[in-house]
Amino acid sequence: MSGWWFIGSLGEALFFAIVFLIGVFLSAILISWQLMSQSTQPLKVGYGFWLFLGVCLSFAVLGIVGFWYRVLKVVTSDEHREVIGKRGIIPEPLSGSHPMKKPTPVPSIPDVRRFTDSPGARLAYRLPSQIPENGALVALGIFAMAWSAMIAVFVVMAADAYLRSSVPWQLVFLLIPGIYVAIRSARLFFRSFIRTLGIGSTTVEIEDLPLIPGREYRLEVVQYGRLVIKKIAVRLECQEESTYHFGTDLRTERQTVFSQEIASHGRDRIDWGYPLRLECSFCVPEDAMHSFQSKHNAIHWKIVVDGEANRWPSYSRSFPVVVYPSSRSSQAIVAS
Amino acid sequence: MIRLIGLQPTYMPGQTIEFEYRVANIDRGSIVAVECSVCWVTEGKGTEDLGVHFFQRLAGDSLAAIDWSIAQKIACPLPISPVSYEGKLLKISWCVRVRFFLGDGTELMAQQPFYLGMLTREV
Repeated sequence: MSGWWFIGSLGEALFFAIVFLIGVFLSAILISWQLMSQSTQPLKVGYGFWLFLGVCLSFAVLGIVGFWYRVLKVVTSDEHREVIGKRGIIPEPLSGSHPMKKPTPVPSIPDVRRFTDSPGARLAYRLPSQIPENGALVALGIFAMAWSAMIAVFVVMAADAYLRSSVPWQLVFLLIPGIYVAIRSARLFFRSFIRTLGIGSTTVEIEDLPLIPGREYRLEVVQYGRLVIKKIAVRLECQEESTYHFGTDLRTERQTVFSQEIASHGRDRIDWGYPLRLECSFCVPEDAMHSFQSKHNAIHWKIVVDGEANRWPSYSRSFPVVVYPSSRSSQAIVAS
Repeated sequence: MIRLIGLQPTYMPGQTIEFEYRVANIDRGSIVAVECSVCWVTEGKGTEDLGVHFFQRLAGDSLAAIDWSIAQKIACPLPISPVSYEGKLLKISWCVRVRFFLGDGTELMAQQPFYLGMLTREV
């Protein structure tokens, strides 16, 4: 703990304390002037009043949270802060040998319930899909709609002005690139949408969850759509994920540490009502690491379906699963 | 000083870890608080995460009642996860950590690492 660390922490705490005091001071002035003394009335009770009050209160909240965060960082150890975060109170001095109970039966492993809330048609569970393209498609759709709506309003304004015999040249020059962006974004959205519709959805059903290393599990992959598949492959994958600060950026790095092909299928035709069904079984390696999730780090296990189709771009869809610790550890979970 | 009783560096999930700690060459009256914890930390590319499995803080009367001439023994059953892990981007390490807070603001920290489970590498 150097002198600079001390001065920095003190400075941050003072800054947030001042922000808190400003927030409280301004809130108090506003409320007292407005509600208790009708003669002054700096702002009418309306949008302006509530906006100003909201800003003042946000200053107070920001200040108090920031202040206590800095203070706790100085006066408590890392472990103590972690315990306060878990329990919500400052723990009392304890004399017993087991003062803190385990918070959950399976700590640091993602909750399996969100993976088992969808029953399968043939096997026990249908796995939730994790398709990043869907998120991009929705975002692109929202952007294209919003941009097109804005441009439409400006076009109406320009047309109105033109009908009244005054051409707004500045607006017209702004509209030219605006219309170009609107057309490009709409075109990109519909191309992505057609690709999603054409390839069709992929579903994965599994015999049991959570997965225990060393045990064998049955899996069924169903590919819907109307296309000619060149190749479809199913893989079991383990991926490490780390999030870190790089300057002012928050970056996430992922690395696949295990990948095993568990099924594949060659050229085939898929049509509406005649999906491709792939049945297989697989086993998580005996010495595999279990799933893990903390604030900035994670170990994910997932079933990945990779496909190549005629006249469509290649696609890859992930279906996360949960792996528990093996052998003796698993017996302890069942017992609890 | 922290010593793991039995001197075994590896513990299986669910097994009880027993350890003792003592302090020497310090004026016992200057100790304001003692914190003892069993925790895991992540190391590697990502921001460090900390998980506390066991935590005990001694201060005030409970601290005054302690006889520092004998080692303080603690036993604690270990959880089933996360097990120790050495991957490519991250590493999960377990340790026993003891902190002494002295009256002049000094903080002394000692820790003893151990393995939970047999796992030491990715997959």
